[in-house]
Amino acid sequence: MARALPLEGIRIANFGWVWAGPVVGQTLGFLGAEVLKIESRARIDLTRMLPPFGGGVRDPDRSLSNHACWAGNGSVTLNLKKPEARELARELIARCDVVIENFGPGVMEGLDLGWERLRAVKPDLVMFSMPAAGLTGPLKDIRTYGLSLTSTTGLDSLTGYRGGPPIPVENAFSDPYNGIMGAFAILCALHHRDRTGVGQHIDYSQQEAVMQMVGPAFMDYAMNGRVAAPMGNRHPLLPAAPHGVFPCAGEDRWVSIAVLSDAEWRGLVAAMDGPDWATAPELATAAGRAERIDDVHERVAAWTAAHDDRELAARLQRHGVAAAPVLNVADLLADPHYRARGTFIEVQHPLGFRETIYGAYVKTSRTEAHVRTGPRMGQDNDHVFTDLLGLTDERYRELIASQVIY
Amino acid sequence: MSDGALHGITALELGHSVSAPYCGKLFADYGADVIKVEPPDGGDPARGWGPFPGDRPHPERSGLFFFLNTNKRGITLDVTRPEGRDLLLALARRADVVIENHRPGRLRAWGLDYEALARVNPALVLISITPFGQTGPYAEWNGHDLNAYHLSGASSRYCGRPGEAPLEHGTFAADFYGAVAAATWGLAAVYGRERAGGGQHVDVSSAEAIAATFVGGQNIGGYAQNGIFERRTGVGMPLGAPATILPCKDGHVWMLALEPGQWNGLARVLGNPDWMQLEMFQDMYVRAQNADAIYPLLEQWTMEHGKREIMEQCQANGVPVTAVFTVAEAAEQEHLRERGYLVELDHPELGRLRDLGAPFKLPASPGGPRRAAPALGEHNAEVYGRLLGTSAAELARLRADGVV
Repeated sequence: MARALPLEGIRIANFGWVWAGPVVGQTLGFLGAEVLKIESRARIDLTRMLPPFGGGVRDPDRSLSNHACWAGNGSVTLNLKKPEARELARELIARCDVVIENFGPGVMEGLDLGWERLRAVKPDLVMFSMPAAGLTGPLKDIRTYGLSLTSTTGLDSLTGYRGGPPIPVENAFSDPYNGIMGAFAILCALHHRDRTGVGQHIDYSQQEAVMQMVGPAFMDYAMNGRVAAPMGNRHPLLPAAPHGVFPCAGEDRWVSIAVLSDAEWRGLVAAMDGPDWATAPELATAAGRAERIDDVHERVAAWTAAHDDRELAARLQRHGVAAAPVLNVADLLADPHYRARGTFIEVQHPLGFRETIYGAYVKTSRTEAHVRTGPRMGQDNDHVFTDLLGLTDERYRELIASQVIY
Repeated sequence: MSDGALHGITALELGHSVSAPYCGKLFADYGADVIKVEPPDGGDPARGWGPFPGDRPHPERSGLFFFLNTNKRGITLDVTRPEGRDLLLALARRADVVIENHRPGRLRAWGLDYEALARVNPALVLISITPFGQTGPYAEWNGHDLNAYHLSGASSRYCGRPGEAPLEHGTFAADFYGAVAAATWGLAAVYGRERAGGGQHVDVSSAEAIAATFVGGQNIGGYAQNGIFERRTGVGMPLGAPATILPCKDGHVWMLALEPGQWNGLARVLGNPDWMQLEMFQDMYVRAQNADAIYPLLEQWTMEHGKREIMEQCQANGVPVTAVFTVAEAAEQEHLRERGYLVELDHPELGRLRDLGAPFKLPASPGGPRRAAPALGEHNAEVYGRLLGTSAAELARLRADGVV
């Protein structure tokens, strides 16, 4: 497929760091935009130092997790502590459509790269800011990590075993979620710009975007004043049973089973070869099963425990039951479904090691996403400073020597 | 009322439950004209999922449907019948996007798969969102949010106690994630269709989106190279401490203090107890190795204080501790009120009801819910009459025949 990608011709300066901001750039990069991450050796992004490293060599250009999360972004090194670097950044932004940043409110202004300053150099600019709790309001300067941001949305209060305390999600689910939704926000603003000629500064509060996932529980609060508690793997709204994760043969092996309809229940009963307990008439209806959910779960678990998770999922599917194995990290790489979809791919990094990253996590029939390796620091400097900004070789070398380009 | 950012885009939504409707909502709340197509016999099953006021089921009073379908126009159409299919194709001719979340094969059976849609409108973008996607060995599987989430690796890796069941978030986390990925890639396909030479089929597996971007990103490279992988601990972040949820006087707090400045800030908040000033505890890794000793000591203190007080004091000292808000506490935050995140909508059956507002703010082209979710078939006359030019007599016949 040699067709042009949808976002070809769109250029983006990405000041995003750590995870959420880089994923915004990555997504738009997969779709064809030229994304230039602005970073510096003066303050190396902490995720560039996360082990393990390609070939085991500790180096900011070889962090395997950093590469997977950042692939799709290019890299330009500018030491923004220096005024000349800020001037070069503005010259670059004048040739960009979009600026992305995920610092706290006010940081870009402090770098003389705030919205008012940038719209002066690029009047129809789309600027995208994604602080934790937005650009305004009493909590705008809140300090959070992505993994705890969810606690301020009510989401964490829903996660855990029934009757127990909230159990943490042990990484920042909100970072890639916001990274992807952030790209949607930018596309909305680009569509508006193309139609009206007007750019804008997007105020993306990660808290508010994530809180949308609390919508179903929020409605119960808004209508009934009811406050939800951790619900395990139960259906968030329906009295559906069984609905959970059940043990299988082997160490930490599980199968998920979600029975929402009576037809799915009949399929499950058939897959279990119709044991007496399951054919009892009081279990034929959703309401009857829901009333006896603990008992139903216990009996289903007793049945699943002797089976291989994958064989059991396939057998349940043959009976029309929504069931799937619960995969661990190792399973992801070996799973026939993800292999068939090319979810994870091994690529050769220019620094001479192989790395496994993810490619287009959404499949498109006409255009094939650009998949690049994780960016080397400054890999796009030559292109940006000489081709795009037209610096003379001499000036370019000077700026490198004085650690402006650094 | 100024136009939303996506003014000029028309979308048809053949969506049910959560994923495609939330994708459609993102388009509708930012200004696209989204026409939701529901089956005449009962409509979107989310109408039956609740929550309902007073727990009394009513197809026009479902809170989930209210939340997911703001700003849309609603029509009924039986697309499984040839006449319904033809009407859908007539609508698709005038649309930019079709959003759907049926099991693969269903659209083909109705004569409405991508090839059929592209024949009448080559510039059309078809967005399909399913747990497993359109291709691969699990494509034809039956699946719900729960199955997709647990197939992604997210729960095994990141949520639950060792030896106990891995956990979903307690919402439709995979459906929401897939919907967001679909909205982004789908809108890009619309935005760039001239550059790309036409419309296309955008195939989202919500399990895959999470497996790749959330779980794969930070785990798969290391596992592929070194053959080592991690599992959930039930505690928080095992590499540094404190990084866990602790109980407090009136609930829970997310206790996080990793960098030296944060740890020393936390010590100040606690009144600089001797144990926190031990030199070896300056290192978050050493603290993590001694988490069994440290967490109970911190808990003694948190149990004496409320979640807001803990959050305020910690934040004032540069420590990124946050309260674990209940849904009620989250909804009543002064911060969200000042930012206008919560809105109120008038609904004929539900009255004036609160709703979550726009997920992000576009100052030049404001978005967010403005019009309550449509009643079943509310816009039939408007859409069939004005958009397709169907006469009143013809519409009455379609109604009588059960097509509309």
